[in-house]
Amino acid sequence: MVLGVSLLVWGLLFFYLLRLERRIADLEKR
Amino acid sequence: MIARFVLLAWVLVCLLAAFLWAPLVPTLGETTRVLYFHIPSAWVAVLALGWSMLHSLLYLRRRDVEHDHQAAAAAEIGLLFCVGATVSGSLWAKAMWGSYWNWDPRETSIFFLLLIYGAYLALRSAIEQEERRARLSAIYSAAAFVAVPFLMFVVPRIYFTLHPDPIINPRGKLDMDPRIREVFFAMLAGFTALFYWVLSLRVRIARLERRFIES
Amino acid sequence: MPSGGSNSLAAVWAILHKECRSEWRTRYGLNAALLFAVTSLTGVSFAVGRLTDRSDVLSGLLWIVLLFASLASLSHAFVREVEGHTMMLLRLVASPTAIALGKMLFNLVFLAVLELVTVPLFLLLMGAPPPRWDAFLALLAAGSLALGASATLVGALIAQTRGRGALFAGVSLPLLLPVLAAAVSGTRAQWAGGAVTSELRLLVAYAVATLAASLLLYDHLWED
Repeated sequence: MVLGVSLLVWGLLFFYLLRLERRIADLEKR
Repeated sequence: MIARFVLLAWVLVCLLAAFLWAPLVPTLGETTRVLYFHIPSAWVAVLALGWSMLHSLLYLRRRDVEHDHQAAAAAEIGLLFCVGATVSGSLWAKAMWGSYWNWDPRETSIFFLLLIYGAYLALRSAIEQEERRARLSAIYSAAAFVAVPFLMFVVPRIYFTLHPDPIINPRGKLDMDPRIREVFFAMLAGFTALFYWVLSLRVRIARLERRFIES
Repeated sequence: MPSGGSNSLAAVWAILHKECRSEWRTRYGLNAALLFAVTSLTGVSFAVGRLTDRSDVLSGLLWIVLLFASLASLSHAFVREVEGHTMMLLRLVASPTAIALGKMLFNLVFLAVLELVTVPLFLLLMGAPPPRWDAFLALLAAGSLALGASATLVGALIAQTRGRGALFAGVSLPLLLPVLAAAVSGTRAQWAGGAVTSELRLLVAYAVATLAASLLLYDHLWED
């Protein structure tokens, strides 16, 4: 149960950061 | 990009190992696992605040705004991980000591640390000119780091605390189960990499903000 | 590194002398701080009554009264220069480090005077049991040193920002909390008859570390 939640949280955090980075890269090009 | 996914997989493996492979410490029971989050968070917090101090000193020497971005970002992230360590510690305290908060010296000192770096952010937000903000907050950050070793390392040595010290115990040796130790250090590395990544993102955002304001 | 002006002990001494004289001329800061201390003391004494047998509470209250009284006035040394537009003039004759050190010494003298009035009054009003004087005075001195060193540093920073008054208390309090905690637990131990060496050592170490950091940083207080 706790394992599942922590895996989920980590996954969500990871993809959030990844998306953030993509947006930053996008803005840097402009 | 590959490095990001290596980190993803690394932490996933660490999590699985922490829950399924590493044994429990008898006295801690199920709460052993908080060790893999709590201590790396505290470690990253100290690392980040030290990083902030370092870049503050570099800023004062070179007056390059890049160092200011680094120092501010590191202080923010340090504060964030400090909150993480506090919350995980508080949850653990509920499970082991029966209450979320009872002003154990460890709890007191990390709370002071939170306030000190909260004040750093308050100071930053109160100054508008870029150069002055960078200079004054660099002085504050460098001076505030003086308190960090006291709060993190000295106070818990002097006062009686219930906080377990499996990492650096008074004899200065590691007496953990080797499996726990492996997972723990892997998690420490994962957290450090995560810190580096988030730091670089925050710095890039700061650069963008600055460019946006100038244009 | 010092940009013009002398960096000698003589300069520090001159700044201290000047601070004392200009404070003595108006006594504005001192009056405000003393009034604040006595008023808050009265408030506390009135609210909780005499606490002869609760020395643990007494030590907390003593330091809180001292801390807040000093917070009300320790930024004054720098703010006065900024508000009187005399900072530029001062910087022509002395290095930033000398100015800051002189002002820190002034703040320490200020704290000593403040404590000279507040502490006896506190012991009297609260009906405190007689303290062990050697330990008590040593704690008071070490605590004031740490207090003065951090508050001067923050005061110097805050003087250059807007909204100085509110910001000073907010920014310097967190840095002073470790001092407060160590001083309170030391004073408590002193009344309970325990050893105070570890708290004293902690306070002195904190003061010395802050002082050393300040000495390195004061050169950058003002831009060229």
